Amino acid sequence: MVEEYKVGDMAEKIRVLKETATELKRISGGIQAVDRNVDRILASVRILEINISDLVDIGIEDREG
Amino acid sequence: MEKYWNPVLETLPREQLQQLQLKKFKKILKWAYENSLFYRSLYKDAGLEPGDIKTFDDIRRVPKIEKSMLRTAQGKAPFPYGDILCVPLAAVTEYRQTSGTTGQPVYQADTWQDWESGVEAYCYALYAQGYRDSDRLFVPFGYNIFIAFWTYHYAGEKLGCEVIPGGVLNTEARILKMQELRATAMGATPTYVLGMAETARKMGIEPPKDLFIRKITVAGEPGGSVPATRKRMEDAWGAKVYDQAGSTEIGHWGWECQYQCGLHVNEAFYLVEIEDVDTGEPITEAGRRGKMVVTTFDRMAQPCVRFDSKDVMEWSPIDKCECGRTFRLLRGGVMGRADDITKVKGVLLAPASIEEVVRGIPELSDEYEVLVTKKGDLDDIALKVELVPGQEGNVDAVKNKLVDQLRIKTGLGYNLEFHDYSTLPRYDVKAKRFKDLRHKE
Repeated sequence: MVEEYKVGDMAEKIRVLKETATELKRISGGIQAVDRNVDRILASVRILEINISDLVDIGIEDREG
Repeated sequence: MEKYWNPVLETLPREQLQQLQLKKFKKILKWAYENSLFYRSLYKDAGLEPGDIKTFDDIRRVPKIEKSMLRTAQGKAPFPYGDILCVPLAAVTEYRQTSGTTGQPVYQADTWQDWESGVEAYCYALYAQGYRDSDRLFVPFGYNIFIAFWTYHYAGEKLGCEVIPGGVLNTEARILKMQELRATAMGATPTYVLGMAETARKMGIEPPKDLFIRKITVAGEPGGSVPATRKRMEDAWGAKVYDQAGSTEIGHWGWECQYQCGLHVNEAFYLVEIEDVDTGEPITEAGRRGKMVVTTFDRMAQPCVRFDSKDVMEWSPIDKCECGRTFRLLRGGVMGRADDITKVKGVLLAPASIEEVVRGIPELSDEYEVLVTKKGDLDDIALKVELVPGQEGNVDAVKNKLVDQLRIKTGLGYNLEFHDYSTLPRYDVKAKRFKDLRHKE
């Protein structure tokens, strides 16, 4: 079965995740339990970017696979 | 069940894949230039600015690095990584080091994000090899300062497998634990995979019948892509054996999928170039051996940009694997290191070709040793082997086979020594079976 992958839509959600996590760290007041966990989330977000968002940078929005 | 870890990247048309690689190369080059004094000096001395790289062919203008340069760099501040480091020391969360077999160990710094990226690259491999969340992995290694199977462990976890750390247990205890818990997969060096099977048999345990391991991922030595060694491992365990390639400085850049047509290069994470060992000329066609120059795209703390790994390999003539992945294939995996390929009696010798001969003769045990020495002005090469129990009466026949096949595969004559079973050295992790003593005498 041919699947269609909505790369552009996924990349947008990843961008929102990153923005939300970054904003959470900005308002954390320096709580380590927040900041350090956000750092881990952002590391995982970067892996999502490698898997999905970086493709948008080369003009891929949707893909069949 | 989905057959790809990431169907979008793994089946990307090659033109787009190369576009992605160029973009990622430019990004890591710029990052290294802007954040590491080591890289900036290297590139400035070569008259190169990151903006000079516009096409794929331009990449070859970027100076290569090699291990000795990393050792020199790490003698500088900040301790212990030196001026190759691109992030503040406080951002480093992971330390590993090379084994130091070719000199002073190289220290490897990673941020958590770098570590995640390495684990992710390994997930591509394990998923392609059929690992799923129903697997119970056994990891029989020492969990120490070497990268070894750390990433196998974490990639297994990320896939949802149940991971059993077989850390400080001895080999017998590991086998018993594997049996008790019915582990279905494991990762180890080819040397240890064969050694464990031998130990199991001595304990009265036949791995194919008495254990539950059905998938083995091997790394650290060429054996996984040496057909005779692979067959020995698969027969000894009743399991499929998959090769995996990587190193401390680079990460896990290549792996076999279930179709085993060769080693896929994970081109979404790494740029692998092959070049002529002597001239440095790029090799893009299949079937011509050269050494690997590799770039890791997403390792930021201690970037690896055009690293001359000295691993010997060749592109496969197979354009597209049956698995449907577009990642390019290597034929025969990593065949050895350019440093190990040496002239003996005027003939170029790759130690892996001796392994292929010895492991292809069923009357011989898994172990062997090769000693190259100088007798006067002449090279001498001795091969020590063991017959398996019950084959002691077949020395002459085995000797004839060895002489013939060694002559065909390596073009050399050897002084053959037959030793009693289990008297040659056994190794727990990586073996050192090829000893060139000519320069030490």
